[in-house]
Amino acid sequence: MSASYTAVGWNRQKKIYDWVIAGLCTAYFTIFTLLTLIFNDQITFETLIIRSTSTLAVLLLHIILAIGPLCRLNNKYLPLLYNRRHLGVTMFSMALVHGIFSLFQFHALGNKNPLVSLFISNTNYSSVPAFPFQALGFFALLIFFLMAITSHDFWLHNLSPRVWKTMHMFVYLAYFLVVMHVMLGVIQYESNPVLVILIFTGMATLAVLHLKAAFKEHKTDSQQFSKQLEGFVYVCDVKEIENSRAKIFCIDKERIAVYRHEDRLYAIHNVCKHQGGPLGEGKIIDGCITCPWHGYQYLPQNGQSPPPFKEKVSTYDVKINDDKVWLNPIPFQEGSEREGALIKNQK
Amino acid sequence: MNNSEFYIGWQPQAPERLAKHNRSIVIALFLLIAGVGTSLALLQRKFSTASFEFGQLTEVKGIYQSFPVPSLKVSTADDVFGNSSFITMPLVGYGKSGAEGVIAQLERNHKFKFDNHEITVKGTLLYSDGKTLLQIDQHDHPLVKVKEAPVYGRKATIAELGTVKLTGEVLDPKCYFGVMKPGHGKPHRDCAIRCIEGGMSPVFYVRNETGETNYYLLLDEAGNKMNGELKDYIAEPVSLEARAVQYDDWIVLYVRRGSIRRTGGLSWFKIKDGDISCGNPSSSLQ
Repeated sequence: MSASYTAVGWNRQKKIYDWVIAGLCTAYFTIFTLLTLIFNDQITFETLIIRSTSTLAVLLLHIILAIGPLCRLNNKYLPLLYNRRHLGVTMFSMALVHGIFSLFQFHALGNKNPLVSLFISNTNYSSVPAFPFQALGFFALLIFFLMAITSHDFWLHNLSPRVWKTMHMFVYLAYFLVVMHVMLGVIQYESNPVLVILIFTGMATLAVLHLKAAFKEHKTDSQQFSKQLEGFVYVCDVKEIENSRAKIFCIDKERIAVYRHEDRLYAIHNVCKHQGGPLGEGKIIDGCITCPWHGYQYLPQNGQSPPPFKEKVSTYDVKINDDKVWLNPIPFQEGSEREGALIKNQK
Repeated sequence: MNNSEFYIGWQPQAPERLAKHNRSIVIALFLLIAGVGTSLALLQRKFSTASFEFGQLTEVKGIYQSFPVPSLKVSTADDVFGNSSFITMPLVGYGKSGAEGVIAQLERNHKFKFDNHEITVKGTLLYSDGKTLLQIDQHDHPLVKVKEAPVYGRKATIAELGTVKLTGEVLDPKCYFGVMKPGHGKPHRDCAIRCIEGGMSPVFYVRNETGETNYYLLLDEAGNKMNGELKDYIAEPVSLEARAVQYDDWIVLYVRRGSIRRTGGLSWFKIKDGDISCGNPSSSLQ
């Protein structure tokens, strides 16, 4: 969390994260290169670069796409999410090297501009087996490029979190393009099914993780609240909410987090202003609700980030009757002060 | 994770139990990386032993002929009966271009056609599977020597081999015989198209059921280049019908108009070489 923009707001955890990324990439290149040179030594330098970077990029893309649902299923994986953008930029860098080398290898030194050649060499767009798979890779790379250059918080704030998030959801389109790029490209050439098996395993793993996460969220979101009184909805008993933690309730399609802080309950909108993280899965640290994704903080009584930060979320009225928690789902303006509900007879 | 454990990235330390879990994740990721890297490296299709003597210029002396493709007839050795033997060394240009442009420029400089003239050129050799090609690049000033008097003593061995139907792959010879690995198949398709559109003489690669490979030069029925017509059929399994004629150590296929057909579908689980087998075509040709 930073009040001003710097290229990278380095801290110890980010450094560890990036060292792990560097270690993973180095390990992959070392293993792939050495084994290829030992067992398939006729490979050319260009092909070695093209293959090692592409396979690593596809592997990193699977890891990146798995992080979101893993975190929704188990918050132990949240450290993977913290610096996921650096993993994304690394993946893009690998894909870019692959793209540049491929463009040069297959299209340069010809009678057409390489970028023009990319689209006019193979024009069998109506044939599945003969489909120009390189164009698919180009468009996937374009999406990754847009994501990489807008990955900084500067763009997140200037584009607005909603636009930024929507734009970054195109990663799923890019993933589809990458899968088809592989399936209609190199897999048409390779005789060993290992690549097909790995791609299908990756797709299946991602599909299962996303479905499991979606089911879990659907369970929370589909909870019915039948008891209503003067605009308030009965949501749970006080004892169900741990101190410094929250429970999330979805009422009228809005997720609201009800936090227990010291001797009071407070309700705020569940969506963090930074990247849309689930505030209700966070914790109160130093008197502030702390987002589990990147540590953005809000005061429970008014939904405002402590100065000098300026983020604000909506607040809600909450009350307690006979240890039962009642929540009014009508939001107050972002940053509105609410006194919360006093918990009596605390045990 | 108990209530006291909560990870915040900007804090210097992760909670102890989470840190332990993080270490497990990192180990798992390293194992994943190692497993995938090992599998992909070991199970790649084997690359050919084709060679491209990049950066090394070799002088080659031979009789130039423009038909069926620009090439040099290079004397190898005399056999036991004193007969000279030759190999045909097709010429290719720099990058993704044929050699015609370079030769035409040299002919303009010397004001005569080189056909049937003995020339010495320097270029970069590329070779594989019994075939040798020579890349000539105008930047290398390839022409070392040309004899003004043509050579008429040596005639090509020409034999009509009949009409054949073959299944194989149209490829560009420069990449396949040396420059790129893989130099054929779907990953290389765009490059092969660019090379053939750039004037490289297309070669038809056929592998029969016994694994024997054969390479044929492709011309249309009238003996003209057919690079443009082949564009949509390059680097995928196709069948064609042609009149086969042997010119020394290369066989030329005069492809019947409209006879080229795609034969392959998606090949995710197929044995690739089976896609371009065609019975035993070589036996009918040799």
